[in-house]
Amino acid sequence: MANIEIEGKIFEVDGDGFLVDPAIWNEEVAALFAKADGIENMNENHWAVVKIIRNNFEEKGNAPMVRTICKETGLKLKDIYELFPLGPARGACKIAGLPKPDGCV
Amino acid sequence: MEKLSKEKKSCGLSVLQTTSDSKLETHLNSCVKCGLCSSSCMFYMTFKEKKYIPGYKVAVVRSIYQRYNTFLGKHLPKISGARDLDEKQCEEMIDLFFGSCTMCGRCVKHCSIGVDIPFIVRKGREMLAEMDMIPKTLQSTVDAALTTGNNMGIPTEEFVDTIEWMEEELQDEMGDPNAGIFLDKENKDVFYTLNPREPKFFPLSISAMAKIFYAANESWTISSTRYDITNYGFFNGKNSEAATIARNLYNEVLRLNGKRLVLGECGHGSRATRWEGPNLIKQTYKVDTITVVELIAEYIRNGKIKLDKTKNNVPVTIHDPCNLVRNGGLLGEIRFVVKNAVSELIEMNPCGNENFCCGGGGGMLAMSEYNDRRLKIGEIKANQIKASGAKIVITPCHNCVDQLMQLNHQYKLNVSIKTIAEIVADALVFEPKNEKKSDE
Repeated sequence: MANIEIEGKIFEVDGDGFLVDPAIWNEEVAALFAKADGIENMNENHWAVVKIIRNNFEEKGNAPMVRTICKETGLKLKDIYELFPLGPARGACKIAGLPKPDGCV
Repeated sequence: MEKLSKEKKSCGLSVLQTTSDSKLETHLNSCVKCGLCSSSCMFYMTFKEKKYIPGYKVAVVRSIYQRYNTFLGKHLPKISGARDLDEKQCEEMIDLFFGSCTMCGRCVKHCSIGVDIPFIVRKGREMLAEMDMIPKTLQSTVDAALTTGNNMGIPTEEFVDTIEWMEEELQDEMGDPNAGIFLDKENKDVFYTLNPREPKFFPLSISAMAKIFYAANESWTISSTRYDITNYGFFNGKNSEAATIARNLYNEVLRLNGKRLVLGECGHGSRATRWEGPNLIKQTYKVDTITVVELIAEYIRNGKIKLDKTKNNVPVTIHDPCNLVRNGGLLGEIRFVVKNAVSELIEMNPCGNENFCCGGGGGMLAMSEYNDRRLKIGEIKANQIKASGAKIVITPCHNCVDQLMQLNHQYKLNVSIKTIAEIVADALVFEPKNEKKSDE
């Protein structure tokens, strides 16, 4: 476990930079984490993706399939990868305050 | 760390006391401490600390072996340099064997007498596993595979939904309602496998491979429950768990009576299934097992697919997955396929059997505990990619893909990372009168 400081705020994160306590997540935290990964301003598509991931996590306890993200936002896969250059897991799930998914991500 | 109990200690030491493993004693006693391995290792090259010398890892296991298995070690440990197995030693072992080795095997190539250093590291991991000291993040990936059938815990209905989505896209692209991704079909020539990160987050490599199968008119299927090619039991040091995962996949191939087990683009999974699998499950495989790279090479050689390399006209380079190239011998086959699919290939320096690991092998990518270290050693690979001047990096391993994506971001490489299936699918040429047989 480690701490990262973004714009004067300190967060406890795991080694991969995912929030240790998902419960402290809110939109301000999301915007700060996005900035730390090089997304200066979250646009409405960023938010749409992050909110679906967050809702899925709160309902089912895990990250949604990228299929679900595309279906519910109407975005294409290509758009998702452009919005989040680190991909849905290390990019979007991190901003949505989820723990790091298992596996090769 | 809490004090090491007597019971745990004896569990850990049992790994070194097996009498059925002469390889262990031979390799432990063969290191002549020449130090040639040091300059081959990404960890030593990056951090320049003695503990990262591969030979030092061998020395740690050897000194514990001596302490409990030799006359001098038992009676005069100080003189013989034998070490106690205690909690402090365990901490060092966790850091060395899990946290600073990608099991890439580059040190073996540089060892003056060919000591199988990753094999010794794996023995170290087995000792730690026996003492319940596997890093949590690595174990949770194994647990997901054991309890759900895939290492990301994807529910079957969500997997099927994703496959149907990719199938629709394929049918649209091909303009053929018979194009398909066939789930749970019996008696097919090819039983194909995936890395769960494909259906979960990156499904374009599934549709790319489906397109290649379509072009080759292949009879193929994917199991909806046992499609996972990965086997993190190969890394956590628990051979029984590695065996269970390997057996689950093999039994599914038999259940669906697949003629050939085709391993998706996954380095360690290919190794754990094809080369280690029969040893793990103590059974000779009744079905042919090949990697998808070899299958695509076969399609090209037999004229089953036609490629137009001008369709991929930006410079590409290849990242050789350690488990497939240095440890699996696919050096030539990967290049044969890539050269048929792209206009310009620029090799990294060094490449092939001398290639550097992406930095995420050996389970490193799954272990958050060592994220910083993983990205730091990855700078070697990032610099190689930069120096190549290529715009696309091709690698037939999804684990490497993920690490390379992170290196791309961290070191601002401005490249795209693709699998072999993706680059080949982009180069496919369909004959105007290409009549397809229906697979259903």
